[in-house]
Amino acid sequence: MIDWNLAVKIFSFGLGAVFSSLAILIAAIYAFGKIVKVTEKKS
Amino acid sequence: MLDMVMTTGVVHLTIGNLIMWLIAFLFIYLAITKNYEPLLLVPIGFGILVVNLPLTFLMHEGEGLLWKFYHYGLEWEVIPPLIFLGLGALTDFGPMIANPKTLILGAGAQFGVYVAFFGALILGFQIPEACSIGIIGGADGPTTIYTTVHLAPHLLGATAVAAYSYMSLVPIIQPPIMRLLTTEKERKIKMRQLRPVSKKEKILFPLVTVLVICLIVPASAPLMAMFMLGNLFKECGVVKRLSDTAANELMNIVTILLGISVGATMSAEAFLKPQVIFVFIMGLVAFAFSTAAGILLAKFMNLFFKEKINPLIGSAGVSAVPMAARVSQIMGAKYDPKNFLLMHAMGPNVAGVIGTVVAAGVFIALAG
Repeated sequence: MIDWNLAVKIFSFGLGAVFSSLAILIAAIYAFGKIVKVTEKKS
Repeated sequence: MLDMVMTTGVVHLTIGNLIMWLIAFLFIYLAITKNYEPLLLVPIGFGILVVNLPLTFLMHEGEGLLWKFYHYGLEWEVIPPLIFLGLGALTDFGPMIANPKTLILGAGAQFGVYVAFFGALILGFQIPEACSIGIIGGADGPTTIYTTVHLAPHLLGATAVAAYSYMSLVPIIQPPIMRLLTTEKERKIKMRQLRPVSKKEKILFPLVTVLVICLIVPASAPLMAMFMLGNLFKECGVVKRLSDTAANELMNIVTILLGISVGATMSAEAFLKPQVIFVFIMGLVAFAFSTAAGILLAKFMNLFFKEKINPLIGSAGVSAVPMAARVSQIMGAKYDPKNFLLMHAMGPNVAGVIGTVVAAGVFIALAG
């Protein structure tokens, strides 16, 4: 017997985790890109 | 005399063994003559051949040589993370850092993983088996193997071979889907040249990524940590010896062990089952949907961004690095020879690897 509740949970949490982690990564890339630029300008 | 004959393998041969020999010869033939993933298909094919020789006991638990490779290499989760160490040392995240929004395409291309997951459930597979089948859609061999060893080790041979087969068939599977889902005008979209990425950014990337991904999905840590360590070796520039070793000698050694261990799981009794055919069918479904989702997401993003994305790079969101990116380049150049999409496609391509590892981590955490 398949536990469809678990299957839906895996799907929603899985796809959510993929998109959210990559979205946070995008934000992080933009953030450290700016920080690096600022520090390079200062030096 | 009869006793002597009985000690040979010849009299113990089964039809199943002979069929597996044919499969082994086919793999070796495809690898040598067609160049289909030869680094994997040669050892896998050879592994299949020798494990289907009666009385050799190469996969005999606790004793067989190949069992030891399989047990200590795969079951102990040593080989896939080491492969990721090498991949990290070979990967340039520069194109992705230069255009971070392409990361979303890598995420979109994981959609096929879940289509195949549900497809496998409908076909009657249990949840852990469906996870192992779904992850084939990520087109990432080591991640597929890692997930399957965790969740459905009895399907290892089928999922690993399906993943590597479809990876090698990227140039055949993807172009029809790309043509179907894009217009000629879209295929000709030219993307702005990528900005140069500083060394500091490249060094910071693996450190930030390992923190972000492993905090969100801790179960992905073994693969992600090694992937980013390999990349840090490459980018920091002070451990060239380690970087070279990870990318070359170590990678080659673990590839041999991985290939022969996977091949060794494909004994006739384990492999010649109807469910293996379903694994291959669902793997193809996963792959096709991942390709389509990447393309459609790129088209969707074009509705909002002023700077248009060529949807052909969306298909590179499946991990198969760098083959999928090359397919995008070839396809784009076919419609406009002056359109260079390769570097743009490398962004979603390497993002796809990260996305697949995250998807695998969730599978292992929830279904393991």
